[in-house]
Amino acid sequence: MSRALYTAAPPRTVWESINPLRMIGELSETRYWMYLLLLPSALLITAVVLYPTLYGFQMSFREMRLNRPDVGTDWVFFKHYIRMVNDPIFWLSLRNTAIWVTSSIALEFLIGLTAALALNRNLPGTKLLAVLILLPYFLPNVVAGHMWGLMLDPRLGVINDLLMRVGLLDGYKAWFADPKTAMAAAIIVESWHSFPFFTLLIMAGLKGIPADLYKAADIDGAGPLAQLRLITLPMLKTIIAAAVILRVIGLVNSPDLLLILTSGGPGRSTQVLSLYAFQMAYKDFNFGYAGALSVVMFVLLMGFAWIYVRLSKVNED
Amino acid sequence: MATLSIKGVRKSFGSLEVLKNIDIELEDGGFLVLLGPSGCGKSTLLSIIAGLEPSSGGDVTIGERNVNNVHPKDRNIAMVFQSYALYPTMSVRRNIGFGLEMRKMPTPERDAAVKKAADLLQIEHLLERKPGQLSGGQRQRVAMGRAIVRDPDLFLFDEPLSNLDAKLRVEMRTEIKRLHDRLGTTIVYVTHDQIEAMTLGTKVAVMRNGVIQQFADPQIIYEQPANVFVAAFIGSPTTNFLNGTLEATNGLLSLRHGGGSLDLGGLQQDVGAFVGRPVVAGIRPETLQVAETGVSGTVEVVEPTGPDTMVILNVGGQMLTARLGSRDRPKLGQAMTLSVDARAVNLFDPDSGDRI
Amino acid sequence: MAQTRSSSKLLWDVVAYVIMIGLAIICVFPIIWTFLTSIKVDEDIVTREMVYFPTRFTFDNYVKLWFQSSYPTLVANSLIVTGLTVLICLLTGAIASYSFSRFNFPGRTQLMLGYLVVRMFPAVLMIIPLFIVMRQVGLLDSTVGLAIAYTSFLLPLFVWMLKGFFDSAPKELESAARIDGSTRIGAMLRIVVPIARNGLVATCVFVAIAAWNEYLFALMLTTSQGSRTWPVGLQLMVGEFQLPWGMLAAGGMISILPVVILFAIVQRVMVAGITAGAVKG
Ligand SMILES: Nc1ncnc2c1ncn2[C@@H]1O[C@H](COP(=O)(O)OP(=O)(O)OP(=O)(O)O)[C@@H](O)[C@H]1O
Ligand SMILES: [Mg+2]
Repeated sequence: MSRALYTAAPPRTVWESINPLRMIGELSETRYWMYLLLLPSALLITAVVLYPTLYGFQMSFREMRLNRPDVGTDWVFFKHYIRMVNDPIFWLSLRNTAIWVTSSIALEFLIGLTAALALNRNLPGTKLLAVLILLPYFLPNVVAGHMWGLMLDPRLGVINDLLMRVGLLDGYKAWFADPKTAMAAAIIVESWHSFPFFTLLIMAGLKGIPADLYKAADIDGAGPLAQLRLITLPMLKTIIAAAVILRVIGLVNSPDLLLILTSGGPGRSTQVLSLYAFQMAYKDFNFGYAGALSVVMFVLLMGFAWIYVRLSKVNED
Repeated sequence: MATLSIKGVRKSFGSLEVLKNIDIELEDGGFLVLLGPSGCGKSTLLSIIAGLEPSSGGDVTIGERNVNNVHPKDRNIAMVFQSYALYPTMSVRRNIGFGLEMRKMPTPERDAAVKKAADLLQIEHLLERKPGQLSGGQRQRVAMGRAIVRDPDLFLFDEPLSNLDAKLRVEMRTEIKRLHDRLGTTIVYVTHDQIEAMTLGTKVAVMRNGVIQQFADPQIIYEQPANVFVAAFIGSPTTNFLNGTLEATNGLLSLRHGGGSLDLGGLQQDVGAFVGRPVVAGIRPETLQVAETGVSGTVEVVEPTGPDTMVILNVGGQMLTARLGSRDRPKLGQAMTLSVDARAVNLFDPDSGDRI
Repeated sequence: MAQTRSSSKLLWDVVAYVIMIGLAIICVFPIIWTFLTSIKVDEDIVTREMVYFPTRFTFDNYVKLWFQSSYPTLVANSLIVTGLTVLICLLTGAIASYSFSRFNFPGRTQLMLGYLVVRMFPAVLMIIPLFIVMRQVGLLDSTVGLAIAYTSFLLPLFVWMLKGFFDSAPKELESAARIDGSTRIGAMLRIVVPIARNGLVATCVFVAIAAWNEYLFALMLTTSQGSRTWPVGLQLMVGEFQLPWGMLAAGGMISILPVVILFAIVQRVMVAGITAGAVKG
């Protein structure tokens, strides 16, 4: 019976036993295979994340000025941290970071939730509208910044023109040049750019809520707002908590958009911590102090995340 | 075709011991059914036989070969999964032929083999479709086709019929029995359906919590269950357990229970040591008959099922289910006496639950 | 009763449309405005009276930007960096994600959590040491170096997102393939990868968009024409040469074109992947 030939493994020739493909195949049957698969990425992450981070920590305890080789790279222990306590710009940046993060998240969450609720009704045309509404999230910071820079330009900005036409504004306004409006304008640009993140996650969460719950609520006579308050929001609690924490991390850590829009100005009205640290490194080449600033940022973020997770757990019980 | 021998196989996931010292011997061409409640370790045992999971100890031998360190692809087995596990991106033809393709069988031979298997299962007209375009029953046949085309030493079936509706399940059960008779391949078959176990198996292993409770011919499992668990698990409606005290008067055994005394003349067991002690009598509902003497009680529930009528009798506080003919329709609260065929009664030790 | 319920439903449908259309306009208007600006002549941009629709169309801004500035080089560099980033993620991340999805081994949960936590590390904290290390090993100001730096935040993302797609292919398929004669890696390549193909593409696109858009790392880690990417280059042109709005708008349009097209094509699968990864995380 010829088939018997094929019931067992094909015979091995010398060539086959040194064939690299076959060797990988054999390797994949060992019990260490899962670890082998993880090895390359783990090594890479160690090299580009863990090592630099640890390096950054120790750097914050040293003198390290790239443009001043004369001062050397000695250990200075807590010098940078002490300087920070007495640095008014640090405290200002901290305050601005708090405003920047909380206002942006509040705005993004509200718009994101509204959009998700509207899209979740699955009316005709929703698919196309969803693409348009989600699009800003995928646009580059640089372009988003300049698009709004163009629209908010003090001399040729279309927004000034539109606002004057509807009578909300008397004359053209220099949004980013006025310390009173710069932060608010930046927050609006940031919210435009990132609210779709909330929309995305909340839409996913909404899909997971059983339709029967709403039918039951309908029968019980609960109106749409009551349903939102009693069913939708409680069911979305975990996902909203996750989205908020991811956004906090993003907003605290990346100074990109502010760097493009205002560079922290005018004055220091939009100076946030991450921007201050970046400029300390990129402009002043004071790596030691920049490192210390980022370490403090990281510790604050970790602390926040810990408390936040704690609180949302407590709320669940 | 081959024998299967499992000796002292154990399996733990971390600190959770899922299989404890499993011993099984299956003859060439045998049909072993692994039967047990959900989570008792049936699938895990099958995975170990297939080599998909390493065991934590013990030996698995297929034919003459110890396969402890043999990769699944080299064990020459075939498996049908509960979810069928058809490759969604491939046509039915390629699905069935995939095992042969992997073993580098030339295309013409492979096509012939696929055709033969498809013929046998009457799925020739489906060969060009994708699994997504098939009904549940058709998928099941394709999964079987994928197994038989390889002509393996051993078939493994993991609850292959549990996703089918009741009618199709009965049909496929017959089909599997026919295939086994025809191909004569050794089979290990997992199910928690006891009818499948009784109709298909040449040997049945009843498992619970990773331990084999009884490993025997299906008839033995039915007639002489090794313990209370097996007696309760096999049979529908389930075995009645009547608590009482074993008595012997003039060499005649009887069971004294709350509602009277039951004559046990004709009992097949040697129970001498238990005279005067409490025992549990396992009495199958189908062995009870309306009669003048036997156990008496009042009718509590009457459930006509069509061919039969289930009657639940209160015997001195203990409930006894009887499977009576469709004509027997007693009234609620009526007094009734049922005769017990003592040859079909099993006595169990109430402490250990084991058959005496 | 039925009357009021259906009329209230209608009311809410109208509200939903108003919200969706309003938001869609707000989302798209800046892009349209930028596009209009990019095809306006300078006189239509710098005016006393706002010109909404260009009086004359011109592609001068595109032509000038493309042929008289270093923009093509910048775009080419960005393409290389993006390609390399995706390649590195694919080679190292796809198998890691597969391992997390398929196997249960001691330390799995902790490792996966680790891949998540590294996303919390501040970019600035990593950028400075990366700058120093890259300079030491000679990768500063190179496309390869930048791509490697990008993996620091994109690889964990890639792994988590792809895992969601791998998870949706039942494990039994692999068992079946291994019994049918495949090795584990054979089962992965022949069975699981084809099933997760869409997800794989979407994940790659997501990472590609992120790499293409990235600004901060590129600003710090590239210093010359040879490796500078378009966001840095565009920003420099704005700062140094007072790039006119028309050309800036043209640059913006050129650089978001691939993003918009890719997003429109794979958005449904990608959206599913982002949410799957985020929900579990
Ligand atoms: N990979 C695993 N890790 C940890 N525990 C597992 C794993 N696989 C199975 N188990 C546990 O082992 C036990 C036996 O599982 P198994 O799948 O073998 O049961 P089963 O008898 O096939 O049940 P069912 O009839 O529901 O299919 C269960 O308690 C299960 O939770
Ligand atoms: Mg199972």
